[in-house]
Amino acid sequence: MTYDDYIDGKPAVITAALTGGVHGKEAHPDLPETPAEIAAAAAACEEAGASVLHLHARRDNGERAFSTERFQEIADAVREATDDAVLQHSTGGTAAPDALRHEPLRTDPAPEMASLDMGPLNRYDRLTSENTRELVSSLHAEMKERGIKPELEVFNDGHLNESLAILDELDDPPYLNFLFGGGTTSPPHPRNLVNRVEALPEGVEFNVIGFGPHQLPMTTQSLLLGGHVRVGLEDNRYYEKGELATNEQLVARAARIAEELGRPVATPDQTRKLLGLRGR
Amino acid sequence: MDETCQHLSYREEGDGKSFDTARAFCTVTESFVQPMRADVCNARYDLDPAADCEFYVDPESEAAEDEDADRGGDGAE
Repeated sequence: MTYDDYIDGKPAVITAALTGGVHGKEAHPDLPETPAEIAAAAAACEEAGASVLHLHARRDNGERAFSTERFQEIADAVREATDDAVLQHSTGGTAAPDALRHEPLRTDPAPEMASLDMGPLNRYDRLTSENTRELVSSLHAEMKERGIKPELEVFNDGHLNESLAILDELDDPPYLNFLFGGGTTSPPHPRNLVNRVEALPEGVEFNVIGFGPHQLPMTTQSLLLGGHVRVGLEDNRYYEKGELATNEQLVARAARIAEELGRPVATPDQTRKLLGLRGR
Repeated sequence: MDETCQHLSYREEGDGKSFDTARAFCTVTESFVQPMRADVCNARYDLDPAADCEFYVDPESEAAEDEDADRGGDGAE
């Protein structure tokens, strides 16, 4: 993806990250946690322009879950509530054992996409998500076996190195997701995204996440550079300073910006063709 | 490794919020706990509340402080 793609009006894929695994209703009273709440948010986001739905699983009390059974319950509810959107399961998770990290890949049918953290990152003051190369490789191997497209989570430049090193192992087109925020994510500045994009070989598709107040500017810049975007309450709880958002509002805003900038919002069918997905 | 955090309770109300299902509540910070932090509270995945939580307070030292306060002492004996 390049600036030329922007000029050519390449469709922009909008991913909605509905709930995540870090915060919950204690941080946002309407953040979806139950299968029914996640499904309702998914339907609203699809209607607003999201063609990919990034899913995490929660227990009834809002705490994180990784089991295939819970992902199955949520995926079934989301499929029932949506028309044609692509489901993308998260395999991320601080400290969760490697075996559990594979479980979101084992629903029936398998998700069309799954996230793949490309290396370690810190959480809070004392937690680290290790994401060893061994784990990354084993998750990727299972994704290949099940026809699941990996979205490579590039939290920082080290993760970009790791991603470029395995480009030959990836099915076309490789799909990288650049994250910008605090801690061990990349410093959220436009020049850092430009540098990232310039480092990509031809034929690589990229997506951009900006955490918190960086969601809006990084979304806009990604669209200008021919990239795709992820928005939603997992990454940003506010529509603007002091005003809590809904998932649907964040997707609708991204869709409006894309259209205004001359990037048509990709339909699920266009997304599948663009990213080489298996189909629902 | 420690068991579930001794400062963890599950509550439906507190911190100015209420929930239909009881959620993890930290009695040290007097606030509900983020889902990812609840893994630490519950010592899941080999996490240890004493080592992995930045809010953890050793119950024994807490008890000693309470005892000092009851005696009116400042602990500098």
